[in-house]
Amino acid sequence: MSGGAIAITSRTASRRRRLLTENLWAYLFLLPAFAFLLVFKVLPAFYAIYMSTFKWDIVQGAFRGIDNYTDVLFGARAEAWWRSLSTTFTYAALTIPFEIAFGLVIAYLLFQKMRGRGIYRTLFYLPYITSTVAAAAVFEWIFHPQYGVLNNILDAFGLGPLRFLQEPDGIFQMIGSHFGLAVPDWAAGPSLSLTSVAIFSIWHFLGFQIVIFLAGLGNIPVEYYEAARLDGASPRQVFQKITLPLLSPQIFFVFTIATIGVLRSFNEIFVLTNGGPLDTSRTTTMLVFRTFFQQGQIGLGSAMGVLLTIVILVFTLVQFRILERRVQYG
Amino acid sequence: MNVPNAIPRVATGVVRRPPLPRASSSIVRHAILIAVGGVVAYPFYFMLSSSLKPFFEAIQVPPTIFPHELHPENYAEAWNKAPWARYFANTFLVASLITIGELVTAVLAAYAFARIGFKGKAILFTVLLATYMMPGEATLIPNYVMMSKPIPGQSAFFPILRLGLYDTYQAQILPFIASAVSIFLLRQQFLSVPNELHDAAVIDGAGHLRFLWSVVLPISVPALVTVAILSFYGSWNAFQWPLIITSNPDIRPVQVALNAFRAEAGTSYHLLMAAAAFVVAPIVLIYLVGQRYLVQGVARTGIRG
Amino acid sequence: MRKLSVIAAIAMLIAACGGSTPVAAPTAAPTTEADLDITGPVTITLWHALTSDPQKGALEGAVKKFNETNGKGITVQAVVQGNYTQLYQKTLGAITAGSLPDLAHAYESFVADYTKADVVVDLDQYVNSKKNGLDQASKDDIYKPYFDTNRFAQYGNKLLSFPFTKSLAVMYTNLDVLKANGVTAAPTTWADWEKAVQQATKKDAGGKTTQYGYAGTTDASYFNAMVLSRGGKIMADDNKTVAWAGKEGLDTLQMLDRLYKGGYAYTPTNFDWQNDFGTKLAYVFQSTSSRPFIAAAMKTPVNWTVGAPPGGKTVMFGANVAVFKSTPQKQLASWLFIKWFSEQDNTADWATKSYYMPVRKSAANNEALKAYWTAKDPQGKQAYDTIGISIPEPNVRGQQDIRDIITNMIVSVTTGKATPEAAIKDAETKANQVLKDAQ
Repeated sequence: MSGGAIAITSRTASRRRRLLTENLWAYLFLLPAFAFLLVFKVLPAFYAIYMSTFKWDIVQGAFRGIDNYTDVLFGARAEAWWRSLSTTFTYAALTIPFEIAFGLVIAYLLFQKMRGRGIYRTLFYLPYITSTVAAAAVFEWIFHPQYGVLNNILDAFGLGPLRFLQEPDGIFQMIGSHFGLAVPDWAAGPSLSLTSVAIFSIWHFLGFQIVIFLAGLGNIPVEYYEAARLDGASPRQVFQKITLPLLSPQIFFVFTIATIGVLRSFNEIFVLTNGGPLDTSRTTTMLVFRTFFQQGQIGLGSAMGVLLTIVILVFTLVQFRILERRVQYG
Repeated sequence: MNVPNAIPRVATGVVRRPPLPRASSSIVRHAILIAVGGVVAYPFYFMLSSSLKPFFEAIQVPPTIFPHELHPENYAEAWNKAPWARYFANTFLVASLITIGELVTAVLAAYAFARIGFKGKAILFTVLLATYMMPGEATLIPNYVMMSKPIPGQSAFFPILRLGLYDTYQAQILPFIASAVSIFLLRQQFLSVPNELHDAAVIDGAGHLRFLWSVVLPISVPALVTVAILSFYGSWNAFQWPLIITSNPDIRPVQVALNAFRAEAGTSYHLLMAAAAFVVAPIVLIYLVGQRYLVQGVARTGIRG
Repeated sequence: MRKLSVIAAIAMLIAACGGSTPVAAPTAAPTTEADLDITGPVTITLWHALTSDPQKGALEGAVKKFNETNGKGITVQAVVQGNYTQLYQKTLGAITAGSLPDLAHAYESFVADYTKADVVVDLDQYVNSKKNGLDQASKDDIYKPYFDTNRFAQYGNKLLSFPFTKSLAVMYTNLDVLKANGVTAAPTTWADWEKAVQQATKKDAGGKTTQYGYAGTTDASYFNAMVLSRGGKIMADDNKTVAWAGKEGLDTLQMLDRLYKGGYAYTPTNFDWQNDFGTKLAYVFQSTSSRPFIAAAMKTPVNWTVGAPPGGKTVMFGANVAVFKSTPQKQLASWLFIKWFSEQDNTADWATKSYYMPVRKSAANNEALKAYWTAKDPQGKQAYDTIGISIPEPNVRGQQDIRDIITNMIVSVTTGKATPEAAIKDAETKANQVLKDAQ
């Protein structure tokens, strides 16, 4: 055996040993995070599926396969389930377009050079960092049918009083009846209650939209604006022809994130209406909570949770696709 | 694997670019911003002004814009109606421990993903991504059941792991110790540490721990602060989980306590507003001090709260 | 395999730093369990729903007194868990979590649900215990309906809870408002009452109501009270179907429909009726335990009364207390607290401080309570005199959901979303389905 061969083997051996130690270091570093994620994220996902296959009415009962799912989708719980999904998406429609529109406009205004930018920003982000419970306690009073300031304002215009959070009537129906029109039930629109929660939600999340849009505006190359200015474009043209198109990935991003946020929203509804009146603000998360926590139906609640997760995952995947494409372009 | 990169990179350009030159009339702009700002600020003003009114003025119709009589003692009354000091201490303890734990787990994991080559990296990263996509709703009920005591005569591990931690501090803390988002965020930061620094450290004979401790962490302070603030902020405002997992007021956090106080205060809205004000105050302070980090964190992670 | 050992390691780690909650070992119940002695210091936890003073303070005061005077080393810790719905949710959750308190404040329908999980102690053995039970005089002294309502036909007629914070659904009347609007005679029929409400309502030139005659509530109990006072029934005798959906229920809904449509009644937010009642409202249906809040919300004192609605029958309510299975010592300690609480002097003292009803007939002879009624709380005596004509609500499993169904029925009528006929039919179908599911 030549000396060279020995040198090579010992070099591969040391390399192997180094690789081994590198691997060990990596696993050691990953261990804490993954141990916690395993126990509190991965296992529960399987438990949810396990529990959803049992009759579990306060106490664990008989195995019932997919019967909980059929109950939720087609059976005794179907009416409540589908209604809650429709309420959830109505809630999304009441909040997201407005959040995006307001957020975009304000971010655009804030992005330009001006005095007091910092103060405005601080102010606009403030609701977003305020806890939902505290903010909702304030809004509950602003919406108050008797003492609330909103009814006071309406009264000054000879309108109202409205019952806001306690009003199950559809808003289109209410507007219609104000003008003496009978709006049919199918076109009644979202309840004023849900609309009031949406108003709170827009106020609360406006700061978030502004942050995201400001970041997006920061990504648009300044040269584009300079070129436009040289061409003599008006501010409106700049906004329409440059800002808006270049910001569209951001808008999609905000759209998917906000949709997921609405699908998961719980706190504001729990505190403001608790799902009432007449279940008109019982979104899917509220329904799951009630099924689990107030009716003790753990099996059915888990089945609903799994179904809701699937809906959310669909939106998450869409969001990732958008991001993926964006990165490829970038 | 474009996707992981995409998460923290959603919007990296926070406040980096110079602001645009003026595009619209300054007066119009200020008018819009002040109008919207007034609507945004009104609830805060309302909270503060009502918290200073006496009971009968607080429920007066129409509401007085400025309190006729100032009653700062409302704050003392609200404070004394419940053991708020204890609630604040609870929240502070829980939020601090979560923040520390999250920093530790995220720093280590992010370092491994960013700077060490190892077998199974892609798979583990995918797992991490999957946990990131798994919404809390999927795990709410099973996590609750997991916190329950083992049923006598049944295994504590199978079919469901039962930790017996219902109504403890641990139950409020442990589920949040590891967060995929924080790992992504720090990994991005650690990737940007120049390789030359690493090479130099290796020549000095430094191992991973020393390199991480003495080189990577010191130059990553802004990212660490961002993660810490986001984590602290999230735990301070946490509501749903502590609401269902605690029943003993001795370990109750402020948000749950404030929700309970709504019933306790009854029609004493002025006291409720005072309580809301002091519950909001600490996080507003942190926000005013660390605004930059918080905003950057939100922009980079897209956490909607 | 590795996964499993990681879990095990974490579990052990957690167990090592946990363990602050006492471990409740389940025990079989030997017949002698109730005849034991308390052998050492015992701490027991009581969950309740008395969120605000004076009730909260009164209970804390009573607990303190018991802790100081029981002489057996028993310490009771009273913990508020929010309103009744929240308390119910918490207790259900605690069953799942295996961390129940030792005793909890509960409505009958809650207990029916808890018993499904076999966690509630049968109190008969304690009540009848020679050593620690109640003597015959005490058994006779405590109102019989208070016992009856805590016996669950669904569960072998066992006594699964004990009267605790008893109250009544009553009608509050502001005599000053009525007098100012020309109503002097107390209405004896519902038709008269409806007229009185209309008379006490004020509207401006545009027809907009500026003062309502009646503050409606969407709580199921008051609907039940109205049904009872019209001579109706709440449940069928076999407890398998609801009975409130008959003529009396429909009459009630139709009356509410007329009052709301005509602008004579409104639904107040949270507790605002308390403020309104002190100034401009003629009638409201509430619990007798609301007396202190009403009195406190009066800027200037007014003439007011409480009593049964026209027809002279109402709902007996207020909650009870159930003991959960734990150790013989804790169960016994819980029972001793409950027993102490129901003793004549204590229940009378409780009545003067909490505005709840005493559970014993003999409490009415208690000098302190009599003096208190005369001097400070004449309405308390009026409420007490109504106990005899009160009827408990159903204690079957599913009643909790049915209460929500009734609330939705009332809301859908008072907001004009459904006719009384359609609403009651729909609610009846749903309620009967709930009863069927809960069998």
